[in-house]
Amino acid sequence: MSETPTTPAESTPRTTPRAAGKSVPIFSIGRVHTIASSTVTQLVRMKTFYFLLAFALVVVAVGNFNIPATPAKELSMIKKVAFGTMDIFAWLFAIVATALLIPKDVEDRTLYTILAKPVRRIEYLLGKLGGVLAVIAISLVAMYAICAAVIFSRESLFVSAEYQSMVASGQYTGAEIEEQLSLIRSQGLRAELGIAVLASFFKAAVVAVVTIFLSTFASSSLFTIIVSVLLFLIGHAHHMASSFWLDESGNSVLVQMLVKVVKVLIPNYQLFSFSEGIVQGEAVVAALVWQMGGLTSGYLIVFLLLSLLVFVDKEF
Amino acid sequence: MSEPAVEVKNLTKVFSLGLRKEYVVAVDNLSFEVKAGEVYGLIGPNGSGKSTTMKVVLGLMAASKGSAKVFGLDSGDIRARNEIGFLPENPYFYKHLSGAETLRFYGKLCGLKGAALKDRIGELLKLVDLEGAANRRLAGYSKGMLQRIGLAQSLIQNPRLVILDEPTAGVDPVGSRQIRDLIMRLRDEGYTVFLCSHLLEQVQEVCDRVGIIFKGRMRREGTLDELIEIENQTSMTIENATPELIAGIHELIRSSKGARLIEEGHSRTSLEHLFIQIAERNREGES
Ligand SMILES: Nc1ncnc2c1ncn2[C@@H]1O[C@H](COP(=O)(O)OP(=O)(O)O)[C@@H](O)[C@H]1O
Ligand SMILES: [Mg+2]
Repeated sequence: MSETPTTPAESTPRTTPRAAGKSVPIFSIGRVHTIASSTVTQLVRMKTFYFLLAFALVVVAVGNFNIPATPAKELSMIKKVAFGTMDIFAWLFAIVATALLIPKDVEDRTLYTILAKPVRRIEYLLGKLGGVLAVIAISLVAMYAICAAVIFSRESLFVSAEYQSMVASGQYTGAEIEEQLSLIRSQGLRAELGIAVLASFFKAAVVAVVTIFLSTFASSSLFTIIVSVLLFLIGHAHHMASSFWLDESGNSVLVQMLVKVVKVLIPNYQLFSFSEGIVQGEAVVAALVWQMGGLTSGYLIVFLLLSLLVFVDKEF
Repeated sequence: MSEPAVEVKNLTKVFSLGLRKEYVVAVDNLSFEVKAGEVYGLIGPNGSGKSTTMKVVLGLMAASKGSAKVFGLDSGDIRARNEIGFLPENPYFYKHLSGAETLRFYGKLCGLKGAALKDRIGELLKLVDLEGAANRRLAGYSKGMLQRIGLAQSLIQNPRLVILDEPTAGVDPVGSRQIRDLIMRLRDEGYTVFLCSHLLEQVQEVCDRVGIIFKGRMRREGTLDELIEIENQTSMTIENATPELIAGIHELIRSSKGARLIEEGHSRTSLEHLFIQIAERNREGES
């Protein structure tokens, strides 16, 4: 027990002011990670993942739907529905989640408290993007797992049923049976399907970064969502749209330049649509996959820089 | 001595409204200093530019003219922000997080982790008396609790300076009392506190110095005593005065030449009087 004598509180001189804190890193992946994981928590607590339950129900239902079609056709249909839903989920979620989260932080002044900490604005944007993409990635992987399980179970069922009935009929040679079974397998679970999921993810990443860019200057979530969906639709008709505008060659040089800028700024989402072929059993063209990856990175960098340009001097 | 915690020099902030050439001068050539270790209060009515000044000091907004420095660093410098804890006006934190999770989030943003972070969270929850509500989500917090978790959040990285925007606004008297006690504790622990408020009586007792701001301009500044003191007036606070004594004093005042009794009563409200006077004088000057 050390009883140090203390002077009464009233007469104690103020403690000396506090000393300076330790230095802060210029850029910190840790801070990006903190914002990203808090975004994931936020989306999870908004019950986002309940969507997966609905998805599982749909895929299982479609999988057990007895349609009068060949096994190969039935597998193809399951895939069409499942991958189509996954794709829509990815881009729609990218738009809505991104458009809701950032303006909400601004409106609620939560952003003040974050940016008042030693956090860079680019770290905030990267964190939000990372969080949204992480949720999309987790969802896509989970959906892919669900749909792989359904496809695989249907495929093995079909294969064994076909095998038994062909053997039982006794009219087919081993080679013929093998040919028939490989036809079914070609519509079944193949590693290439993963590339189609990757394409959906890349597309969603571009959609998300475009939405971030829009939400750095848009004043409402609704506006951001509408414009982002519009850009998404235009981006799907990219070829058509740009040839339509570029054909107006009677325009002045300025207008033509503007059209070119707009053309670059509206991402060409058509590039990602080759994944539909993969789902239908076409071979994967490696060059296309690389092109897709490269373009996605390009769009991410360009739009992040553009967003930062607006966001860095933004006053709240 | 040491450099000032906050140094605002000739700060002007102009907002332009819409596309037309309308603009608002929110802060007008404002200069003041907050010394390290003191509690400085910027007081003024709503719309007088207090929040704007704080945002410029924090680097959330750029000055139109002039400058703001924090411990000698330009505001907006990431190192400056590491020295500042900020509680905005009517703060909203993520409602889906609990009190402890909120502190963890802000702590991580400041680079704290592991046991150090955990200890700090425990310490702060205790300081703001929210240990019992640590695991409840903020969606269920009262206004006073939100302000207190906000105060804890602002202190997470052990900053040297705490900036509080209207810390007691909208909080009931008990909650407001708690917050003021906390501010005094912070002062005793060596924090520099820069707060603003339109609630004068509340700020009065915690501030070492106050600046009165009106329409973006500093109207009066000084220690509380200086501000309250009026050169040709004297006030007395008498304990256990009998009615006879008071009657005698009244008699003395009446009989002495030139002297006049202006008011009697509690001296606590005089800052408020001064403030209303200033506001009225400026309104008259304009119309
Ligand atoms: N972002 C903004 N855009 C336009 N005007 C603003 C903005 N922020 C504040 N103002 C105006 O600046 C003035 C000062 O506001 P503020 O600093 O919030 O006052 P206080 O905090 O003292 O109540 C007000 O007239 C307000 O309308
Ligand atoms: Mg204010």
